[in-house]
Amino acid sequence: MKSLRLVVAVAVSLAAAPFALAQETVRIGVVQPMTGPVAYDGNIYVNTVKMLADDINAKGGVLGRKIELVVEDGACNPAQSVNAAEKLVVRDKVVGLLGAFCSTSTAAVMEVAKKHKVPLITGISTAAQLTEQGNPYFFRAVATTPMLGNAFGPVLPKALKAKRFAFLTLNDDWGRSMQASYPKAIESGGGQIVANEFFQQSDLQFLSQITKVKAANPDAIVLAANTQQAVALSKQIRELGVTAPLVGEGAWSSDSYIKLAGPAAEGVYGLVEYVYTIKSPVNDAFVKEFQAKLKENPSKFAGAAHNAIHIMVDAIRRAGAADPEKIREAMERTDYNGLVGNIKFDAKHQAYGQTVYLSLVKNGVPEVVETAQISKAQP
Amino acid sequence: MSRRIATLAVLALLCAVPLVVRDDYYLHLFIVSGIFVVAVLGLDLIVGYVGQLSLAHAAFFAMGAYTSALLFVRLQWSMWLGLPAAALGVGFAAFVLGGVILRTRGHRFIIITVVFAELMKLVATNWVDMTRGFMGLPGLALPKLSLPGLGSLDITAKSHFYYVVLLAAIVAFLLCRALVRSSIGRKFVLVRENEPLAESLGISAFRYAMIAFVAGAALAGAAGSLYAHYVGFVSPDLFNFSYVTIMLIMVILGGKGTLVGPALGAVLFTFLPELLREASHWRMITFATILIVATLFMPKGIVYPLVAYLVPRRWRLSDAHAA
Amino acid sequence: MSASLTILAQHLLNGVLIGCAYALIAMGLTMIFGVMNIANFAHGEFYMLGGFVAFYLVSLMGLNYFAALPVAVAAVVALAIILQHAIFRRLREAPMMTTTLVTIGLSIFLEHVALLLWGPQPQSIPTPFPTKPLSFFGVYTTPLYLFCMAVTAALIVVGHVVIRRTRMGKAMRATFQNKEASALVGIRIDRIYAYAFAFGAALAAAAGAVLGGFIPVEPATGGIVTLKAFIVVILGGMGSFVGAIVGGLMLGLAEALGAGYMPTGWKDAIGFFAVILVLLFRPEGLFRRV
Repeated sequence: MKSLRLVVAVAVSLAAAPFALAQETVRIGVVQPMTGPVAYDGNIYVNTVKMLADDINAKGGVLGRKIELVVEDGACNPAQSVNAAEKLVVRDKVVGLLGAFCSTSTAAVMEVAKKHKVPLITGISTAAQLTEQGNPYFFRAVATTPMLGNAFGPVLPKALKAKRFAFLTLNDDWGRSMQASYPKAIESGGGQIVANEFFQQSDLQFLSQITKVKAANPDAIVLAANTQQAVALSKQIRELGVTAPLVGEGAWSSDSYIKLAGPAAEGVYGLVEYVYTIKSPVNDAFVKEFQAKLKENPSKFAGAAHNAIHIMVDAIRRAGAADPEKIREAMERTDYNGLVGNIKFDAKHQAYGQTVYLSLVKNGVPEVVETAQISKAQP
Repeated sequence: MSRRIATLAVLALLCAVPLVVRDDYYLHLFIVSGIFVVAVLGLDLIVGYVGQLSLAHAAFFAMGAYTSALLFVRLQWSMWLGLPAAALGVGFAAFVLGGVILRTRGHRFIIITVVFAELMKLVATNWVDMTRGFMGLPGLALPKLSLPGLGSLDITAKSHFYYVVLLAAIVAFLLCRALVRSSIGRKFVLVRENEPLAESLGISAFRYAMIAFVAGAALAGAAGSLYAHYVGFVSPDLFNFSYVTIMLIMVILGGKGTLVGPALGAVLFTFLPELLREASHWRMITFATILIVATLFMPKGIVYPLVAYLVPRRWRLSDAHAA
Repeated sequence: MSASLTILAQHLLNGVLIGCAYALIAMGLTMIFGVMNIANFAHGEFYMLGGFVAFYLVSLMGLNYFAALPVAVAAVVALAIILQHAIFRRLREAPMMTTTLVTIGLSIFLEHVALLLWGPQPQSIPTPFPTKPLSFFGVYTTPLYLFCMAVTAALIVVGHVVIRRTRMGKAMRATFQNKEASALVGIRIDRIYAYAFAFGAALAAAAGAVLGGFIPVEPATGGIVTLKAFIVVILGGMGSFVGAIVGGLMLGLAEALGAGYMPTGWKDAIGFFAVILVLLFRPEGLFRRV
């Protein structure tokens, strides 16, 4: 019985754990969804982090020691993510945490980080509230939805040649945040909001919502969805005869989306933190290595992983010790230049200064058509 | 006499856990198990004793968690107030729901409980002004214990909170035991075994099912409150069907209709999934298979009969048995 | 047509498309319930497997789409027959809690097997239909949507005919009404059970295979489909085919219209409230058992 052997194996290794030698490696914990609805992207993140950690180790590691990644499955489920984080901090004694992908799971893991005083960094969770809680152990290395909106909102009416904007987003904090924060920026660029619709995480068909949006006669539709829903959404939008250009936060520039959505992906704009067509030496090297080792083009989740691990390692290096408190302090003083430009953290540990991109799918390739820089978050 | 010794021995062992188990991670699992013990004892009342398969129990658990969380966030009620409020609130909700659905029997009842749970999930997700939807309610803190004259005890440490949960589990166990041993409990079993006979004797199946349903829900609500404050965070994910599944597994495989069975089931099926972390899908496939096989061939469950077999009769804690 | 009329018509068409699917799936569920007295919590998994097997056949094995659909259904039927023989045959006289727990266990089992085989990523079945939408008086649809509606409607008619006209159908209805009497007149109950379970599974699988072309399937889909099917069956009356058909269409239309003219977040609540209302005022459902 496979599961019985596994139990025995685990029991034995758990028993042996106390006898492990004092840490020669610097342990970094990773809580990501490796199963569940966003497992595909979660696994990409994990594989990227592993690849990059190996690279760093090949160059000598950090503080003269090798990095050891300990990965646990949070499944984008808050309870499971908490269990995973507890295990990483208490048993594996990690000095830093990367995770947990979905904003609700990250919110839950934040509490664990605070309780055990271990720094946590996310490159993916964009819910605005996360940095509003004054949790000193949490760092966000990605622009929030309102920040993206402020950066690109004024540009969209001109870039999309549209006046009437309709929103159709996921009914969670991300989607709601978008619909709350984007309109002002879009209006400042000369746009007008004509519809606000939502769909649920479990929805498989969106015909009603699309029909409602259609009734408002939009020139462009602003979306927030992850890969799985993005594919069905864009297909069904076209199937119901809506020809307006689509622009969205989420999966809209990733290879998996483009491949699965087929012709429906043509002409779709994406508001992204990272896209593999960025022209820079750092990115060229990254893309080349990614294609060679992981056999596909890096998506924004890979980009997020790149930022997260490098910022964490950079902080460890500057801290001079594998001590969670020192790492936390060092992270506050981050001035990191990497994949997407310069990143610093403001007083709430929110990243700013990085470049963000407007991508457009042309012939199956998400080309960068506009860039903007994230300015410090408004208080 | 030997029964007393056995009881004391078990109690002593349970109290000694935080002293023996130094590892915070395992302590965490013990705490979570304890919380689930409270919840599944409640489920056992309706499923095991009265014999109605309610799939709304996880929803009651989540509702308790949300009630306590909302009271904390909006009115700054500590867990000491939040827990009884959650228990009462959820118990009341069960009273209302039961009034509507407990006259139904059969498959319709089961499905209605599912519908109720899904509806509650929808409310938690969409009533954003109240519940913050998917963003959930974070920052729920464990309370301090201020005893007059003794100063204030900080129970936020895991080892201290363990005792709170242990106390809750023991109280829940004793309450349930008192209930099932009383004449009410006997009537539960009669309703389960032979409803027409019960009705002919003037025993209203509806009334007794209601008692079990409300009591069970109150326990679930209390457990939910403990969980919310311990984890520090609630979100609509608490309404997922996976919680129903795991609670059912705890009760059924533990041994429905006994109290010790589901309690042990709660501990076992909190630890087992964590130990089998790696094997995620195989783990669930195994559990599902065991559930099917056990339901088909082992209606008394696995844990309780095993324990009953191993522990000599003299030493056993007495228990109301299921047929 | 005026704009608002067009939009209304669009909502109605959307509702019919989804309603036909609901009706087909619910027919299968009500058949299993009526004959075997089992609330099949794994019903949605038959839908999901129908979709996944069809996906597997078309995109990974290169089978022709129109051939893949019946093959996918046949595969699920084979599975259903095996399950019936191995498990449900023993549950003929079992109490309701037992059968329900077994189907819940089965549902978890099948979902995780699907996760193991295909992973969590939703997949839609590649279809040979052109993707350009067709429009009639401003109401849009695609060849695929029309195909879905045609197939589901045809299968509903077939199901209805089988129940009403064929010998097997009559035997099934007899078993519905009176098991002992049917056994006495020589109807082989075991055979009827197998047929009912297989047929019920077939209808669900067909829905999954056909709809999988535009609604992506993932292992978690099963649970949602099961819930919808149960709602329809409660509305229509457990064991009533007409109820399943009418209930399914009504739910589809109600959801489309409701979502069309109310905040869409509460779309699913329509079914829930309908169930509560039915339970309060007409617990046996809109139609009696047939």
